[in-house]
Amino acid sequence: MDLFKNNTVINWHDHVWLNEKGELDESRLKLTVKAAYDTYMDLIVSSLPILGGNPTPDEFKHCNNIQYEATRRYPKMMKGMAFVNPGYVKESLDEIDRCINEFGFIGIKLYNQYHISNPVVRDVIEKCIKLDIPILEHAAKLNFEPELQPFTSNGEHFAKVAAMYPEGVFIHAHIGGGGDWQWTLKAIEKFPNIYLDISGSVCDEGIIEEATSYLGSKRLLFGTDMSFSSSIGKMLGANISYNDKVEILNNKKFERYLVKRGER
Amino acid sequence: MIIDVNTYIGHWPFRKIRFNSAQTLFKHLENKGIDLACVSSINAIFYKDTQQGNIELSEEIKSYRNIFIPFAIINPSYAGWKKDFIYCIKELKMKGLELYPYYHDYKLTDDNCIELINLATEMNIPIHLPCAIENIRQKHWLDTNKNLSIEEVSQVITLCEKAKFIISNGSSHTIAEYLNKTSKIKNGNVFFDFARVEIFNNDLYKLIDIASIDNIVFGSVSPFQYIEPQLVKLQYLKIEKIDKIKGNNIKALLNI
Repeated sequence: MDLFKNNTVINWHDHVWLNEKGELDESRLKLTVKAAYDTYMDLIVSSLPILGGNPTPDEFKHCNNIQYEATRRYPKMMKGMAFVNPGYVKESLDEIDRCINEFGFIGIKLYNQYHISNPVVRDVIEKCIKLDIPILEHAAKLNFEPELQPFTSNGEHFAKVAAMYPEGVFIHAHIGGGGDWQWTLKAIEKFPNIYLDISGSVCDEGIIEEATSYLGSKRLLFGTDMSFSSSIGKMLGANISYNDKVEILNNKKFERYLVKRGER
Repeated sequence: MIIDVNTYIGHWPFRKIRFNSAQTLFKHLENKGIDLACVSSINAIFYKDTQQGNIELSEEIKSYRNIFIPFAIINPSYAGWKKDFIYCIKELKMKGLELYPYYHDYKLTDDNCIELINLATEMNIPIHLPCAIENIRQKHWLDTNKNLSIEEVSQVITLCEKAKFIISNGSSHTIAEYLNKTSKIKNGNVFFDFARVEIFNNDLYKLIDIASIDNIVFGSVSPFQYIEPQLVKLQYLKIEKIDKIKGNNIKALLNI
């Protein structure tokens, strides 16, 4: 674990969750934070998405309130991302303002409600460009039928929107999330404003090497998405240079998002 | 000492795999601190006649028998399976039986398969049941769209009470929980690896609690997966008698 111990580690993809009562799941939060400290992480960037259906503004506001509660508990370890459902355009834009300005969140998280290239998402993307914040979008190229998440974005959806908004900063979530990661790397390769987090339970030998080869370490971000041992192990096991590993663990291009907005 | 219960040699048709020859896998495992490894032939899964893959494997690891413990892949729905299995155990000195019903299109509860499992049990040979090879969500269009059926595993455990099973590369904690409810696994005959079990959310501790520390083994799925995620789990596992998990349990099971 010297790699983690001796370098700054920013975990760009993890979550807090609701318990059965719809409140902050304290026990899971404690485990996540403990895991982060035990594995020498410096910061977790976290969100609370709703994993299906068509969440209403009240529902996504509640999620963000809970995420804020978690970030207040662990202000040194956790920063938040705002979850919104872009189908509710005005409410989403207002909620992004609330989360960025009042809660100090540093980006937004989109899930599987719409493909990121769907025109309905454009206002949200333009808002993020204006605020200079990154968009982390749930993503996968799933080859398994039946497709349980038909509106999950894949690399081609990202490519369309990245071409349309070259000034946008798009993070394709979890290359180890269980989809066809080789396809994904080819689909997003040519778009420098698409970044990729390495999280997920899939720890196929070669996944980090190929991601680095296609995108370069400057377009990769460390993350766990609840799979700490897989994500840490991938970094430890990857046959890439030490400098590339250090870059992925703390992507310099993303450092500015961690600084308070007024101090950028 | 670490003994890896789940490694492979051979050609995977759907993705380029490194370290998939005896020589390269041997060096790879040695570099990662793995002392012994149960190994089977990827080719045997895809050849119609699995025995050709078993014989290839046996030939290839000849110079590396100090690290590799070969397991025979047998398709009990293919002619000659009984003779092939006996040959693998008696002549090729293989130490385990490995089954892929989701590639070879049969059920664990089919008559021939039960007969094969009972024969293995009579010969004191454990049965390795990998839940999958690669994650099904990334599958090639020609690859199987099934994983191991846990319902069938539950039935076969009940039908073959004395057989010893190793279940690997699956959600072992939920499988153990299911099997504990539907078929008795507390007789110590069912072993689990933790390749797809997280430690930092306590799932690995749950698995140990359900299955007992005497029934947990180390499996990396190398060379398909990085070995380090499993080593990280070992590093953070705070438990007495961890040597059982690292190798003593599988050593006892295989009589090595």
